[in-house]
Formats: sequence, C-alpha cells, structure tokens
Amino acid sequence: MKLAIDEIRCKGCNLCTKVCPYKIFKEGKKPNRKGIIVPELDRPERCANCRLQKLYGRRLCGVCELTCPDQAIHWIEEEPYEPHKVAIEY
Amino acid sequence: MTFEDWFRKDRLPHIFCAGCGNGTIINCTLAAVDQMGWKKEETVFVSGIGCSSRAPGYIMTDSLHTTHGRALAFATGVKMANKNLHVVVFTGDGDLAAIGGNHFIHACRRNIDLTVVCMNNQIYGMTGGQGSPTTPLKCLSTTTPYGCAEPPFDLCELAIAAGANYVSRWTSYHVKELEKAVLAGLQTPGFSFIEAMTQCPTAFGRRNKFRQVIDHVEYLKAHSLLKAKRDRLFEEGKEIPPDMFVVGELMRRNRPAMGVLP
Ligand SMILES: Cc1ncc(C[n+]2csc(CCOP(=O)(O)OP(=O)(O)O)c2C)c(N)n1
Ligand code: SF4
Ligand code: SF4
Ligand SMILES: [Mg+2]
Repeated sequence: MKLAIDEIRCKGCNLCTKVCPYKIFKEGKKPNRKGIIVPELDRPERCANCRLQKLYGRRLCGVCELTCPDQAIHWIEEEPYEPHKVAIEY
Repeated sequence: MTFEDWFRKDRLPHIFCAGCGNGTIINCTLAAVDQMGWKKEETVFVSGIGCSSRAPGYIMTDSLHTTHGRALAFATGVKMANKNLHVVVFTGDGDLAAIGGNHFIHACRRNIDLTVVCMNNQIYGMTGGQGSPTTPLKCLSTTTPYGCAEPPFDLCELAIAAGANYVSRWTSYHVKELEKAVLAGLQTPGFSFIEAMTQCPTAFGRRNKFRQVIDHVEYLKAHSLLKAKRDRLFEEGKEIPPDMFVVGELMRRNRPAMGVLP
C-alpha cells in the first residue's frame, strides 16, 4: 500500500501535517498547476497503514484520511513491493 | 466498503474553503454510517441552509436540502412517513439554534429517531460571518464588531434538557472520537445529537486571531475539557475554566422514542 495525496482535491490547508503521529506530511514548497501548495510526503513507507493494512486485514490509524477535509488522502496499491526500503521506527 | 464509497466522487472537490472543518465532519459521519452496514437506498441525509448544510449534496444517497432552519421538520416528516428509513441530519449552528431553535427543542422533546450532526463553527459562515447564537463572548463577527456581548447557547445542554436520548460533543480535531460518537448516536433509538465544534477559517478564524487553520484547530483541542475531568474538578470543588467546553458523551438514556419500528 502506498500513501498518496490527490492533487486535484487538495486545497493546501496543511491539516495533515499536524495529525500524523509519524509526521509524514511536510508543508510543501512549490505551488502546483492550480497554484496550490500541496504537502510533501516524508518517507511515506513509515505509515502504519501502508505497512500493516494487508497483514491485519483492516484500516489502521487512518487519522489523516479522516481529518483531510477535502478527501484528498488515500492509499493505492503498490507493486512490486521492495522490503529493503522499509525503515521501521520505534 | 470505506466512507469514500458514500461520496459522490463526481461532485468532489467540494466548495468548502481551504481548511474548512465541515469536510472532516462529513468524513467522520460517513465512516460511522458505513459501519452500520445500511443500504444506500434506505439511508436519507437531510439538511437546511448554510455551508454545513451543503453536505448531503456530496453524498450518494437520497437527500433533502431544505430551507433554512427546517432540516429537522423535514427529517421528522421523512421518518414518520417511512420508519424503515435511516435519517441523518446535517446542520449548522445558525441553522439549528437560531432560526431552527424551536424545531430543535421539539424534536428533542418528541425524541424522534434521528441522528443530528451539528457542525458548530460558532458563526454564520455562508452569509459572510454574522454572529450566531453560539458565538462565544468577546469574539468578533460582522454583527458583533466590538466583540460578542451575549452569552452563547450550549447546544448539548439544550438537547439534554429538552429530552434527547443521546448527546455528545467533540471537535474536528478528535476525528476517531467523533466517529465513535456518531456511531453510538446512529445505534441509539430516539433523538441523537452530536455537536462537532469546527473551524471556519474564512468567516470566524480570520477575524479572531486564528491566522492559520491549524491555530484554530489547536485552540479547539486545547480548550476541550473531557467530561471525566470536568466531573473530577466538580467533585473536588474546583473551578471549571470558563473558556473551555466539555467534550465526550454527555447523555445516554432510554426515554420513550418516536419513529422506532416496534
Ligand atoms: C429563511 C432564511 N433566512 C435567512 C437566510 C440566510 N442564511 C443563509 S445561510 C445562513 C446562516 C447559516 O449559518 P449556519 O447554519 O451556522 O451554517 P454555516 O454556514 O456556518 O455552516 C443564513 C442566515 C436564508 N437562506 N433563509
Ligand atoms: S494513516 Fe496514520 S500513520 Fe499513516 S500517514 Fe495517516 S496519520 Fe500517518
Ligand atoms: S465560510 Fe466557513 S463554514 Fe463556509 S465553507 Fe468557508 S470555511 Fe467553511
Ligand atoms: Mg455556522
């Protein structure tokens, strides 16, 4: 699973930067085509839901998705999976 | 299914301002509705007029976007005409407590089987920031340019006094708690009232020293007092800080309800 921000829906309010326990969302720097500064993802593979949703068979955490007022955060399938990239932080 | 499946994706992105809390409240409500396992054909969303009341327009079920303040009157009609329908009402503080105040107390009194989610942004957002019955003391709005001088309504206390079966209050910061509260409200027969304190950066935040959306959310978080803590302060005879509001499940009871299938 891969975390993704929908650039068409995001309005750049930066609420996600405050709610993630891993601080995965960082304030963006460059405006996109619509002039909106979409947040950047900082090592999104740390996200609990990306790592464990498949294993547990249910949505874990998901606070960013619920908080995003513009329904712009979601998870997409990611293949092939590269385990050596995963850095688990305690 | 997730709550995403309840949205009319073709209507997104919605028209709420950047950082408006209404979207968050809709997410939490839909996440709860999703867990109820209701069919879309048997679920109806009703609203009045206001930014918050635009919510049903983005949801993939039958809905009524009615006149200002009358959401509860229409919802009562829907429920009494067909008790098989699950009726959820989205409303704003102005919609519910100002022009719709009488419908509110009487829907609570009748204890009709509805779930009402009030997005309380403490202002009339849609019409440009007039003070509402929930605008806190000293807050600025276009109709209170020297600071609001009238004490605000506590909507939850009002609902409890008028007879609602389930009452709770959370904020747009407490998404998981809000989701659980709405779920509990949906499961409780009778009138369930969930007040969601939310930010309105455009009409409220801008005039009240919340330059960033986050500032207002942090304020809501910092000024919410858990019910358990309030009770503890009360027992110890300590003062409850006047600028804080109580969050949590404030009432759950079993008064006779209307509109429940036998
Ligand atoms: C009968 C009637 N009176 C007044 C209005 C104007 N009006 C539209 S929305 C609104 C206030 C909405 O405030 P609230 O319910 O708090 O919703 P918000 O926009 O803050 O979400 C008012 C007074 C109206 N549409 N109809
Ligand atoms: S699901 Fe939780 S851990 Fe993952 S990005 Fe969202 S807030 Fe962070
Ligand atoms: S005016 Fe306020 S309530 Fe209305 S959409 Fe904008 S931020 Fe939301
Ligand atoms: Mg309002």
